[in-house]
Amino acid sequence: MEKEEVKQKIYALVEKSMGKKKLKSSDIQKTVSAEAGISRDEVKDALKDLIDDGKLIYTYFGGSFVEIPPKE
Amino acid sequence: MALPQRRTDIGPPHYKDFLPPVMLKNYGDWKHHEILNPGLMVHVANSGDKVWSIRVATPRLLSTDTIREFADLAEKYCGGYLRWTTRNNVEFLVSEEKNIEPLWKELVEKNHMMGGIGNRISNIVHTQGWIHCHSAATDASGIVKALMDDLADYFTTRETPNKVKLAVACCTNMCGAVHCSDIAIVAIHRKIPKIDHDKVKNMCEVPSTIASCPTGAISPDPARKSIKVNDEKCMYCGNCFTVCPPMDIADPEFDGVAIVAGGKVSNLRSNPKFSKLVIPYIKNNPPRWPEVTEAVRLILDAYIAGAKKHERVGEWIERIGWEKFFKVTDLPFTFQHIDDFTIARETFRTAATFKW
Amino acid sequence: MPRKYETPLLDELEKGPFPSFVTEIKKAAARNDMAADELGQLEKSYRERRGYWKHGGIVGVRGYGGGVIGRYSSLPEEFPSVANFHTIRINSVSGFFYTSKILKEMCDLWDKYGSGLTNMHGSTGDLILLGTSTENLEPIFAEFSSRGWDLGGSGSALRTPSCCIGPARCEWSNIDTLDINYNLTQEWQDEMHRPAFPYKFKFKTAGCAVDCIASIARADCSIIGTWKGTIAVNQDEVATYAKNGMNIKEEIVDMCPSGCMSYDGKELKINDEDCIRCMHCIAKMTKALKATGEKGATILIGSKAPFVIGSTLSWVIIPFIKMEPPYDEFKDLIRKMWEFWDEHGKNRERIGELIIRKGMREFLEFIGVEPQPQQIKEPRRDPFFFWTEADLQK
Repeated sequence: MEKEEVKQKIYALVEKSMGKKKLKSSDIQKTVSAEAGISRDEVKDALKDLIDDGKLIYTYFGGSFVEIPPKE
Repeated sequence: MALPQRRTDIGPPHYKDFLPPVMLKNYGDWKHHEILNPGLMVHVANSGDKVWSIRVATPRLLSTDTIREFADLAEKYCGGYLRWTTRNNVEFLVSEEKNIEPLWKELVEKNHMMGGIGNRISNIVHTQGWIHCHSAATDASGIVKALMDDLADYFTTRETPNKVKLAVACCTNMCGAVHCSDIAIVAIHRKIPKIDHDKVKNMCEVPSTIASCPTGAISPDPARKSIKVNDEKCMYCGNCFTVCPPMDIADPEFDGVAIVAGGKVSNLRSNPKFSKLVIPYIKNNPPRWPEVTEAVRLILDAYIAGAKKHERVGEWIERIGWEKFFKVTDLPFTFQHIDDFTIARETFRTAATFKW
Repeated sequence: MPRKYETPLLDELEKGPFPSFVTEIKKAAARNDMAADELGQLEKSYRERRGYWKHGGIVGVRGYGGGVIGRYSSLPEEFPSVANFHTIRINSVSGFFYTSKILKEMCDLWDKYGSGLTNMHGSTGDLILLGTSTENLEPIFAEFSSRGWDLGGSGSALRTPSCCIGPARCEWSNIDTLDINYNLTQEWQDEMHRPAFPYKFKFKTAGCAVDCIASIARADCSIIGTWKGTIAVNQDEVATYAKNGMNIKEEIVDMCPSGCMSYDGKELKINDEDCIRCMHCIAKMTKALKATGEKGATILIGSKAPFVIGSTLSWVIIPFIKMEPPYDEFKDLIRKMWEFWDEHGKNRERIGELIIRKGMREFLEFIGVEPQPQQIKEPRRDPFFFWTEADLQK
């Protein structure tokens, strides 16, 4: 699977769970790798790109989560 | 001015770039060491080389001014080499014997306090407190300062039967090894958190807030789309506040500190042990917490009077028994001392042998 | 000019012989707005007996999920310069060694971009830069990283590993604590900077059972140096200790926890087979006694502060493992442990808590370690235990 496609899947997953459940990096890795049938390292790599580009960010609320940055 | 190019995942610099040449040369090849005075020790290598360490107290919180002063002294007398200890002391690493005396003299002139090596009280491991922490129930630095002023002689000169490691934690999260110290102070709350229900909706995740509670005191409050706290179960630990900030648990009137004693981390002689509760509550009394320094003095004096040479506080208490500890210190024994948390039954006396 | 506050309560803490943190804050406050407002807010805390900091949120440097701890004053109008006042964790050097040159360079940068206040060091062992604004985070990271420094860990990630001074200056170290610490830190940069664990994970490496880094109380993985072999005795040095006033029977022999020593006034004998390597005799008679033979480490897992189920000390998982670069056997073992934790751990559940919840058997089988009596104090007391189908076939 193309990395771009993995990135889209990750973003969609985070978007869908916003306001319902905060996702940890490992939740994303587990869910997307299972759904797309790819390795966790591939998901991890795509997630790293999304974070480096600022499309997603890490947040901390007593634990570390991955979320969409707030619009300011 | 343009910023330099950032780099990621490079990790810390290599330690070998920071070791004085004598330590690099004799790395892993040390023969023995000797404590020359409470603030000075010498390590001797198999090659015959020596390195002297002068230990200086710091308050842990340091301004860049003071760090520069330390750096200047290291440059003048130690080829620029110095280190910090895990208990917030600075060690000047002297390679040339002739530099010891002038460095010591200059440290004295600049009002620094040397000591902490050997069987005495070293610096106090502590946490952030009101200076910078969201969950602090007291100010760690203030208590440390008051305690160390009171116990200064035990850092610079006087001996104790063995090392006495003190620690202060500003809440029950206990950053630092407060739970295994000879004598430690841990700040506690005594009232349940006050919930700002409007904010809970946006800021908190209900399942993780419920899971954060060690006693199962938190449950959903569907009517308010919030949570509620069962005041009969809550032990005021404050873990929920860290997960869910709108559960404010700070309470100026009822917050304060507990004192625990008898812990150790080393395996020397007896196994590592936890500190146990000796005083359940002392009111916060800033700026100098006199009741806290008095209580620590009381425990320390009893230990010095009763312990055999090389016994740590916990070893002394275990030898004489906790019932005798409460007798010799005359500290009141209360319901709070009897465990009703996760390991209660391990702590009950299952023998008919005890002292009157 | 920074704002000036009356601080009658904090002034009391400038009195007395021990160095004063108030004096430190005041030094920085004389020239730095943030330090000045920190001082003002702290005086208010002393007056009102409560803290005024808020935590959490979304601050950090791009790409990283840790190393910056979001901190906000809850009184931003009263103390505007600390409205946001975040902590930066700089990954310290193994053994907390510095040179004057590097310290001065750091001080210059920190005065330029932050409060001028530090903690040397935080409880986990980071060099703490105590307080700066959100907009200064990226510049600070660029300045420090371009000079060879990186951020430490925070959040649900590997935290900055730390170690005792080890072979750099100590004659007791059985392992190269500084190298192990450096090597593990470099190996797991991603685990440190991009939080993907259920919760925090700490390594602490001690060269011997004296455990000057408190690894057994403060690390999810405690690496404690030890040996398989004898304690070599230099009888001449023993005689010198006796001559200098040491009561060898009372102070050494009688205090040996395994009763493996004897002394007849001339010769100190050790029954090495019964020695449990507690270090008491070696620590008290360092010139006379030396551990010899095969060196390695005991790996213990699980210590932590009281949240949530009560404090734990680490317990033995691997009684003995060689610790030589590149530490592959050790690293493989840790990766298996993390896999177990990743699979079963809940949010904010430390690995030790998980092992207690799931049972040692499931953990040991997963990581491929055999049950050994060294892992426990005593066998179970009660007759309730599991039998798997495979057990029944044995």
